[in-house]
Amino acid sequence: MNEAKVSIMRSEPAVSSEVKFEEFKVPVVEGMVVLDAVHYIQNNIDTTIGVRWNCKAARCGSCAAEINGSPRLMCKTRMEDAGPEVQIKPMRAFPVVKDLVTDLSHGYEVAKKIPPFTPRPEMKSPYKIQQIDITRSKEFRLCIECFLCMDVCHVIREHHSDYFGPKHVVKIAALDLHPADSVDRSELLHNEGGLGYCDITKCCQEVCPEGIRITDNAIIPEKERIVDHVYDPIGRLIRAARRRKW
Amino acid sequence: MMSSKKQSRFAFPELFEFNWRLWSFVLLLLMSGAVLFLNPVSPYLGYTDPFYSPTVLVIPVVALFRITCYAYRKDYYRHVFKHPLACKADIRGEKENRPYSGERSFFALNNFHRYFLYVGVALLPFFYYDFYISLVYYSGYFTLRLGSIILLANALLLTLWTVSCHAFRHLTGGHIECYSCKVAPNFRKKFYLGQSFLNAFHEDFAFISLAFVIAVDIYIRALIVGLPIDYTFFKVLI
Ligand code: SF4
Ligand code: SF4
Ligand code: FES
Repeated sequence: MNEAKVSIMRSEPAVSSEVKFEEFKVPVVEGMVVLDAVHYIQNNIDTTIGVRWNCKAARCGSCAAEINGSPRLMCKTRMEDAGPEVQIKPMRAFPVVKDLVTDLSHGYEVAKKIPPFTPRPEMKSPYKIQQIDITRSKEFRLCIECFLCMDVCHVIREHHSDYFGPKHVVKIAALDLHPADSVDRSELLHNEGGLGYCDITKCCQEVCPEGIRITDNAIIPEKERIVDHVYDPIGRLIRAARRRKW
Repeated sequence: MMSSKKQSRFAFPELFEFNWRLWSFVLLLLMSGAVLFLNPVSPYLGYTDPFYSPTVLVIPVVALFRITCYAYRKDYYRHVFKHPLACKADIRGEKENRPYSGERSFFALNNFHRYFLYVGVALLPFFYYDFYISLVYYSGYFTLRLGSIILLANALLLTLWTVSCHAFRHLTGGHIECYSCKVAPNFRKKFYLGQSFLNAFHEDFAFISLAFVIAVDIYIRALIVGLPIDYTFFKVLI
């Protein structure tokens, strides 16, 4: 049986300012994921390790952490891929509650600022929507709200700016591109949302466990919508002359 | 979110950092610009150098089309400015104490990309015209030479890069929320999906087409100094 060295960053800011790495030896069995290793440690070595998880099937987005420096879901990272030495840290962009558990409540504050789905007045529930209209918005429905994209984004992680962050742009794009929705959230995103801080370097897209093409399909289209409103006077004139949104 | 905020007082804080990547990049740009303007190439044996088609004067606009392109933006923000260099924790090259303005002040100018796209689209036919000219250069004959094929490949690569552009995507279909409300919804949607397919390779096209344009320029310059690297496949009377 193989053995892996798993080192976990331990801290509990409410109790002490100490941050340390603790190393554990974990027997690796076939098919084992990093979350299994953490559970092994919790069950057999140290019961006090703080870790958040729910589904162990990459559906709930709870077990996000930084494994060997890459933001990943612990339940979707196999031990054999992580190598014989595995380092696990909590997501750095968010305040630690305990060990691997971070406080994501800021995300809920941002989510409150996003206007909810607002159907066009002529739409009667149940909405009849054509398949060809709904496919784009559907991609963003895959989001499991794991916050990995937020963690890897340098605007949030290193610069702590007021940018809403990729996860919320995905949410906004899902609503803005919904054929039955009547609100345009791109101006909110431009002003309060600080989308201008994003420099489309695509780290969010690289780490998304759901394979959402965040930058290509959500962020850049929202940036282009902002161009429509703010940076394209000629296009605006033409659209005004035709008295149409588009 | 978290306490300390290092918002920049300058529109372009990266300009004041010690960054050899930026300055060597600028130097490289200036040098290649100087070469293009000081050593122009006129058409040779029916081959027009793409940098001089239709005129060398469009080079600054074409350069702006490239510089404001989302693919190049990603790359210079990453590899010139290190915002961030890479995504993994230990190789990001990004620091908390570095000022950062993103695309909110100086680089907000990149939002004018679509205007340069319009110029780019308008220029595309010239490259196909150059290909055609190279075919009929010998009067009375239709000639297919290696150089012509290179010019055609160049035109195709530039087309692929241009039509896979993100602004092109938005303008030709991305802005539509309700396809079924439009005339010819299926056509519009298929066009959008086809364009999106190409768009996924936009970064590749951006770099392949740039490298290819430079290679074509060098090829034609090499022909002019007499290197025997052209080949005539056939020459038929018309
Ligand atoms: S593309 Fe934008 S949102 Fe995504 S990680 Fe980069 S800066 Fe952040
Ligand atoms: S967009 Fe992807 S990475 Fe971001 S929260 Fe949703 S699933 Fe996670
Ligand atoms: S435990 Fe649910 S996503 Fe990992």
